[in-house]
Amino acid sequence: MSMLADLEATALSEWLSISMLGFPTLIALHSVGMAVVVGLSLIVALRLNGLVAGIDGQLVARLLTIAAWGFVLNFLTGLALFITRGTDYIASGIFLIKMLLVIVSAIILFWLRERLKPVDSTSRALVADRLSKNLSLVAATTWFAAVVAGRLIAYLSDLYR
Amino acid sequence: MSPDVWAWIASTPVRTWVVDSPYVWPTLESIHFASLCVLMGSLLVVDLRLIGLYRQPCAPTVRFLIRLAVAAFAVNLVTGLLFFLGNTYKYVDNAAFELKLVLIAIAGLNALLYKRSLSHIVESDEVSLSSIGVGCLSLLLWSGVIVCGRMITFYAP
Repeated sequence: MSMLADLEATALSEWLSISMLGFPTLIALHSVGMAVVVGLSLIVALRLNGLVAGIDGQLVARLLTIAAWGFVLNFLTGLALFITRGTDYIASGIFLIKMLLVIVSAIILFWLRERLKPVDSTSRALVADRLSKNLSLVAATTWFAAVVAGRLIAYLSDLYR
Repeated sequence: MSPDVWAWIASTPVRTWVVDSPYVWPTLESIHFASLCVLMGSLLVVDLRLIGLYRQPCAPTVRFLIRLAVAAFAVNLVTGLLFFLGNTYKYVDNAAFELKLVLIAIAGLNALLYKRSLSHIVESDEVSLSSIGVGCLSLLLWSGVIVCGRMITFYAP
């Protein structure tokens, strides 16, 4: 806890909290990253489960890589947002639920990215086993749940009152 | 528009429904956010094809994804309208909201340009300068829409 308080007291944290360029910019970038990672995870889940056709194995791998970059953007912006109010965030139940959902979703994202990597650069076929298909649906669900939980932080915690 | 119009809009029964319950506004926001993810995910796959990140004939897939994006946009139009009716003065004279509407209008024209003169390109494995332009513009505009949308709170009077 004292480490979180120390982080809040750093010059970076103070600048992020009070600057018009700090907090709003971070939260806006966080929204764009969210749309990329959640949106593409849904499209990949639809593809793996046969609800969208015409996206081959090479493209699924690329979409998962782009989704992973969206996640990296959100990890960094999320971390910067976190250090401004770490002690408050950690005390918020809905924030912890969001983190749990994000961790599950992100683990599945990176696992799928490894699992569905094409064996060689000429192979275009999509080879997805039952586990990949099921986990992609789990991740699509937990990503959307994380979006809702993230929005509810504004209402179910004291952070933005 | 005159202040009377905003006052009339702000006095409709919809305002009471949206604002008086503690559940309606957060629910609408959650739907708005989830739906913008669907919109962005679908458009990314279409725009990356136009840009040439992958080149393959995929007209049926693109048509399906565009329909999905339009459906997601419709959901966001309805929820967005309810926000406006529920808390009109948060949006009137709000620079971020005005810019968001302008970007949506340009994105709409960009999509019409694709439909009128570029939709044949996804039946082949080609890309052209125009398709790259339309794809890049679409991604930039919709990212801008999300950024402006998130900025509305900070520019609210």
